[in-house]
Amino acid sequence: MNTAIDTARLSPPPRQSLVKLLAWGVIFATLAWSWSGAEIRPMALITDGANMGTFLADFFPPNFHDWRYYLEEMVITLHIAIWGTALAIVCAIPFGLLCAENVAPAWINQPVRRLMDSCRAINEMVFAMLFVVAVGLGPFAGVLALFVHTTGILAKLFSEAVEAIDPRPVEGIRATGANLLEEIVYGIIPQVMPLWISYSLYRFESNVRSATVVGMVGAGGIGVVLWEIIRGFYFAETCAVMLIIIATVSIIDIVSSRLRKLFI
Amino acid sequence: MTKAAKVMVPAIKVTRLHKTFNCCKALDGVSLDINPGEMVALIGASGSGKSTLLRHVAGLAVGDSSTQGGSIEVMGRPIQACGRLATDIRATRARIGFVFQQFNLVGRLPVMTNVLTGALGRLPLWRSLTGLFPLEDRERALEALTRVGIHETAWQRASTLSGGQQQRAAIARTLVQRAEIILADEPIASLDPESSRRVMETLATINAEDKTTVVVCLHQVDFAIRYCPRTIALKKGQIVFDGPSAELTPSALRDLYGAEADELSAPIQGSASFITDTALAVAG
Repeated sequence: MNTAIDTARLSPPPRQSLVKLLAWGVIFATLAWSWSGAEIRPMALITDGANMGTFLADFFPPNFHDWRYYLEEMVITLHIAIWGTALAIVCAIPFGLLCAENVAPAWINQPVRRLMDSCRAINEMVFAMLFVVAVGLGPFAGVLALFVHTTGILAKLFSEAVEAIDPRPVEGIRATGANLLEEIVYGIIPQVMPLWISYSLYRFESNVRSATVVGMVGAGGIGVVLWEIIRGFYFAETCAVMLIIIATVSIIDIVSSRLRKLFI
Repeated sequence: MTKAAKVMVPAIKVTRLHKTFNCCKALDGVSLDINPGEMVALIGASGSGKSTLLRHVAGLAVGDSSTQGGSIEVMGRPIQACGRLATDIRATRARIGFVFQQFNLVGRLPVMTNVLTGALGRLPLWRSLTGLFPLEDRERALEALTRVGIHETAWQRASTLSGGQQQRAAIARTLVQRAEIILADEPIASLDPESSRRVMETLATINAEDKTTVVVCLHQVDFAIRYCPRTIALKKGQIVFDGPSAELTPSALRDLYGAEADELSAPIQGSASFITDTALAVAG
């Protein structure tokens, strides 16, 4: 009798197994359904293998002849990322607070959230193309593109941090007769500061990466260089630029993640 | 009520206050008067409505709107009436110091800044938002910290202090506020006996020296008897006793609370070391 009960317990209840099986079924069905739409042709990798080998060989050795020019443009890319992020942080603070349920009433936070959603929904490349038309070719268009997109992202992250605070210190401040702004400055900001700094640094990292591509639509920086040399089939130079980008992004990532650890 | 009390404006006047949470009544027609300079204990078992009452007096919660006339006045100024907060609530709140069970300090700010927030109610916005507190307020904050005995912690983060120190910092905040009334909501419920005694001692000193009205919510009757001349006892949202604390003998408590009386007087019988502690303190 006892052994019969024990063997029944050894495997999970049939209901759980069925759900698991169904989940796997759904995953495979989705992958199969997307196969033809994405024109997946694994054989092409083998049949065109020789062509790809030749193509890859063109990249090496990298040509660093114009490295001063590449480095200058890389620094401009950093400048774009710095200003795009800085402006975004400044705007994300009020917007983030207005998005938070525990700060603003629903009739304010809902419209502001939708506004931030739309900033976030559209990729910075699209914004870059629009701003190139509006303010002309060059880094400023890139700054504006990163600024709008990052504001949307940071406002959401900031507001989530605000919604997770401990309400009791805020009540302590309120009990002294403080007004809403004072409650925010003394009760909320000190609590969310570590998270806000961490999110801002993380977005700066991502913006350095994004700033390298917004240039491709003419919004300044290393992206412009990259786009020109790829179109001109200068693959050795392309390789050099890509190596510079990888080095820069890696350095920024390492430094920023070290900094972020200090604040958490 | 004494003759003098009739001509004085009461420090706190609560009239027929009702509060309903979902289904249950937390406050059921509470009316009371507290005179300036009194030190009053508010006792009752968990869920009797004493904390709820205190939060209503500070305007941190609003009473039911359906009942007519439920109102609270502090120093003759309205706090709330018929479930609506007064429009000048912030100005009145600045005159009321509130001490919370969980201290409600901002853990990442220095003790000094936490104590200085007591001045926010009277500072112009440009000063409070930039954190440029006037010298006078900073002197007052340090003086307040010295008075409650934790001035050496002034520039530490509040979160690094012990519970008892945090609660004394919270009391220092009400001193910087120049509060005319201190409402303390279970100020010693999260503290050890020695810290509890020091916190109650501090509140009693402020009451005696500054003539500040103090209303303190307590769980243990022995503290009420020791520090507060007057006690108001609540049971299921109603006042069941209002008079001299000395009248609260164990048998009187049993009459009021029945089986719940044990919960209120437990520390007296429960902790022998506590009795010696307080006995020594009193003797010393």
